[in-house]
Amino acid sequence: MKKLLALLTMLALFTAGCTNEQKPVEPAAKATAQPAAAKQIKAGFIYVGPVGDAGWTWSHDQGRIEMEKAAYVAPSTYIESVPEGAESARVINGLVQKGHNLIFTTSFGYMDATLDVASKNKDVIFMHCSGYKSAENVGTYFGRMYEPRYLSGIIAGKMTKTNSIGYVAAFPIPEVIRGINAFTLGVRSVNPQAVVKVVWTQTWFDPGVERDAADSLLDVGADVLTMHQDAPATLQAAEARNAYVIGYNSDNRKFAPNAFLTAPIWNWGSIYTKTAEEVQNGTWKTAQIWSGMKEDLVQLAPLSEKVPAAVKQLVEEKRKAIVAGSLHPFSGPLKDQTGKEAVAAGVTLDDGALLGMNWFVEGVQGTIPQ
Amino acid sequence: MSLQFRVEKREQGSALFRTLATSASVLGALFVAGFLLLSAGVNPAAAYMEILREALGSTYGISETLVKATPLIITGLAVSVAFRMQIWNIGAEGQIYMGACGATWVALFSGLEAPLILPAMFAAAFVAGGLWASVAGLLRARWQVNEVIVTLLMNYIAILLADYLIYGPWKNPDGYNFPLTAQFSDAARLSEYFNTRLHSGFFLALFCALAVYLLMERTIWGYQIKAIGSNQAAARYAGMKTGLAIFLVLTLSGAIAGVAGFSEVAGLQHRLQHGLSPGYGYTAIIIAWLARRSALGVIIVSLLMGILLVGGDSLQLSWQLPVAFAYAFQGLILFFLLASDFFINFRLRRVKEDADA
Amino acid sequence: MPKLLQLQHIRKTFPGVVALDDVSFSIAAGEIHTLLGENGAGKSTLMNVLTGFYAPDSGSLQLDGQSVRFSSPRDSLALGIGMVHQHFMLVAAHSVLENILVALQGVPLLFPRRQLRSKIEQTIDEFGIDLDLDAPVWQLSIGAQQWIELIKLLMRDCRLLILDEPTAVLTPQEADKLFQVLQRLKQQGKSIIFISHKMREVMEISDRVTILKKGRSVTTLEAGEFNQNKLAALMIGGDKIPEWQKSLPFSDELVLEIENLAVRNDRGLADLDNFNLQLKKGEILGIAGIAGNGQKALAEALTGLTRVESGRVLAAGEDITRSCARSSYIAGIAHIPEDRKAIGIVPDLSLDENLILKNFRAKRFRHGVFQSRSAIRNNAIEKVDQFAIKAGPQGSPVRLLSGGNIQKVIIARELSEQPVVLIALYPTRGLDIGSAEYVHKVIAEGAGNGMSTILISEDLDELYKICDRIAVIFRGRLIGYVDPANASREQIGLMMSGEVSA
Repeated sequence: MKKLLALLTMLALFTAGCTNEQKPVEPAAKATAQPAAAKQIKAGFIYVGPVGDAGWTWSHDQGRIEMEKAAYVAPSTYIESVPEGAESARVINGLVQKGHNLIFTTSFGYMDATLDVASKNKDVIFMHCSGYKSAENVGTYFGRMYEPRYLSGIIAGKMTKTNSIGYVAAFPIPEVIRGINAFTLGVRSVNPQAVVKVVWTQTWFDPGVERDAADSLLDVGADVLTMHQDAPATLQAAEARNAYVIGYNSDNRKFAPNAFLTAPIWNWGSIYTKTAEEVQNGTWKTAQIWSGMKEDLVQLAPLSEKVPAAVKQLVEEKRKAIVAGSLHPFSGPLKDQTGKEAVAAGVTLDDGALLGMNWFVEGVQGTIPQ
Repeated sequence: MSLQFRVEKREQGSALFRTLATSASVLGALFVAGFLLLSAGVNPAAAYMEILREALGSTYGISETLVKATPLIITGLAVSVAFRMQIWNIGAEGQIYMGACGATWVALFSGLEAPLILPAMFAAAFVAGGLWASVAGLLRARWQVNEVIVTLLMNYIAILLADYLIYGPWKNPDGYNFPLTAQFSDAARLSEYFNTRLHSGFFLALFCALAVYLLMERTIWGYQIKAIGSNQAAARYAGMKTGLAIFLVLTLSGAIAGVAGFSEVAGLQHRLQHGLSPGYGYTAIIIAWLARRSALGVIIVSLLMGILLVGGDSLQLSWQLPVAFAYAFQGLILFFLLASDFFINFRLRRVKEDADA
Repeated sequence: MPKLLQLQHIRKTFPGVVALDDVSFSIAAGEIHTLLGENGAGKSTLMNVLTGFYAPDSGSLQLDGQSVRFSSPRDSLALGIGMVHQHFMLVAAHSVLENILVALQGVPLLFPRRQLRSKIEQTIDEFGIDLDLDAPVWQLSIGAQQWIELIKLLMRDCRLLILDEPTAVLTPQEADKLFQVLQRLKQQGKSIIFISHKMREVMEISDRVTILKKGRSVTTLEAGEFNQNKLAALMIGGDKIPEWQKSLPFSDELVLEIENLAVRNDRGLADLDNFNLQLKKGEILGIAGIAGNGQKALAEALTGLTRVESGRVLAAGEDITRSCARSSYIAGIAHIPEDRKAIGIVPDLSLDENLILKNFRAKRFRHGVFQSRSAIRNNAIEKVDQFAIKAGPQGSPVRLLSGGNIQKVIIARELSEQPVVLIALYPTRGLDIGSAEYVHKVIAEGAGNGMSTILISEDLDELYKICDRIAVIFRGRLIGYVDPANASREQIGLMMSGEVSA
């Protein structure tokens, strides 16, 4: 009992003491202190990982910071490491309760939760990344990452000596499969002998598992690796074993200064800024945005000096062709893994087929778990 | 003079003492966490008020706390039932997934309609969770295989099995190959209240608590479970079939955990997807431990845990503190609670050195 | 005589209980001092104070004239006070030698094993103790295990030895041996506190006797000042000893026949080997034997706790060894187990709940699957009254009761369903006179109502007192029956060591 009293007294003294100290920084409070008319966009972001992941979440956070440069955007809020699924609805709702009027939910698993909260808060605009469901106040956005993936494949095909390229794949979902296929098509466009070996980790961020997967690919002779996870484990594995590696998400060459060749990267700032502007101007309308290199949503990171000038030039030509619309990685004729024709000559896969892609092109070694 | 302490077992602390010690430990945790908050430039008093306001300050906050507490109550009960027999069910996490799989199968593929579909989903979850745990029960009862290891390892199998179903045969055909099952029809969803996410799963959890209370405290089965848990040799001497009882209790424990899976998919997710449970089965072990013997205790601890988890979000929301902070905060509270549990059951006695010794 | 240890006005309370009220007595060097008292008189608490488990609330402890205060058993041991507890503290899988070595203090890391061994062997020889240092403890009889505990204290040069009912687990011969050793120790100047209920022993060995009653030391008597009756009167004070009559002549009707029964233990050794026994209706049949000669296996085989290897058990002429009838018949066999705390009770459950452990399925204790709390409570009230159980606060775990009260709980429970046969293993071990008499009374009354009893005991006095016949068991075989009316103690003692067949 005495102990308890002592504790209570201490706590009372301590809390009383600190209320006299500096006012804590509270973004919400700061926002309301500003003239309301000047900064109408109060944006909130839901992240699936920690902002320090150097990958997916980090790239979104870079976009958020870029968006904040716009004059009409108030300091924004982010919530990191929010579990996917039903759990996220509460956090999204929390942002709504705190007066955010533009909310970005940046992982596929937030889809149901986003729509659920949106249906009860019609005055708030939601943007859900990588999903397929939209609503009156919910737009979706994603990038045609397969375009830079295709370009990175060209580099891999040119750089491999063993004609064996390793792909540390995340989950067997269309987005990842599409990336593997585009990459493989890029590889085979310059090196028809090369194969792309796929290992699934069933993770987005698990350095241990991903490192093991990368090492196993190196063990079977792969000399160029690429990946689809947010952790830099694959980069580090390649660096340690003197292989080449193509990163992902952001220009993460610092993890593999010698092995790094390039990386297909996100530039979310472009779409975040654009969305904020549209909301500010009242021109925002729900849409399912799927932008590519043309709109600058996806890019290829600057190539390493290890990449020969001729290859650099080739990649630059292809990039221009894609941006101009004259080259589409998924234009026929394409064969599937069994060698059967999957896409006839002269046909280009439409967005529906790309979004639901569930088969591997020829040159991929691996299976899609069914 | 050196300070020496000796640990002594306490006999039966009073209820008042237990309550005081627990409250003191929560205050202690808040006190220590306060320094962390101060170092981040946040007023602890304001932060704690914010946590409470977030979790309890509005209909919405309360509803979310209850929603969060729902699976914790059910799995906490599941673990505590086995715990009464000194059986450790570390596998509630996997049993939640199996229960969810069972319920999902009925919801999507059985062809049943209202009003049969929800009871059938409940039954399927109950059976699936129970069957899953019964494997460990059989191994333990028949061949003395440690149930801790078996139930723990079966978690991984269960989660991967659920993943297999989500990525494979149960994938929504209209879902662009995304790893989700189709959404449940309205008939297969639990009703929601007050325009919040509070669903009837919460009342199901309360009902489970009542049922577990009656089972443990009022029935001859509960009597046997307690007897076996306290002294297996005496129970055998009294003619109880201890092996069978171990098997049945683990099965029941798994079945209750399976109900949590049902409540989550039918009440909240409305489909099966990866990451159904962010570790409820493991939190349940702590809940069962802290709640000791009582079903009411499980409810109270689960609600506190709900407040902590729901309120913890506000640290990020209002102050942009990193998520690691919320984890550290929750960890501190748990650490202090477990420490107080130690002091409730043991006392430290100062040992005086003898002058002539 | 110089006083080694003096206790003055020791008081110790626990929440709600005054365990020791005012206890004073002293022990001289080279004295055997007996502490006599009923269960709950405070003997255990007093010993725990002496050995440093508890600190007294008030009062003083003087060793060699100097005031001492123990805060742990280590302190008292360091000053040469050692105790042989009723429950031995041995590691069953380790050898005798290892168990002794573990207890030694100040043994260097690389201990001189051979040297220590010879020192231990010397002690064993000196007192003429028969003990194989290399045998694992689990193989030894309880009597032999007690020697280990004693040797542990001797090796540590204890000046004051406390023995808590040491003869409870010994045969008459073993007890005699122990007394010889104690006399020798006394001659060497060691002091001994001896706790016992067996008046014969107290008379035989004590230099002085201190009687405890309800937490107070009533008086201390010198040898010559006391006799059995006086001690019993002082100990029980105004309490009345329950009266009972030896049972009526029993019928010749056989309730139980055991033919060529063989039981193996989990080490594969034969606990019972070609064992035969006949039990008549209303008979009290004593089983005499040294501990570890198959008594426990006999009880367990009859109560279904162990598997029968071969042989037959006939109940009223019907073979129940393996039939389904066995389990129902077992229900009619009451069993007072040897180790009352280890298997007789469920320690964390309440008194009420422990009283229905065997018959919790009985219709009167339940409505369907629900237990009837009122019926269970009423049953407890009835039993507490009938068996004079000193119950603690309602609902508190039964483990908090004293040993004697726990035994009463077990007996109350076992007799509550009017069993056909009662198998009682050492039912009065560790009980005070009042409680022991009570047990005898209950058994005799049961016999009067037609219950047959197999009473397994090492206390020949007890067997002589209440048994109609005594069967002697040795190494799992029946050596023979004797009629207590005309058989001498020596004759039974010899049969117990397998030497003579009657």
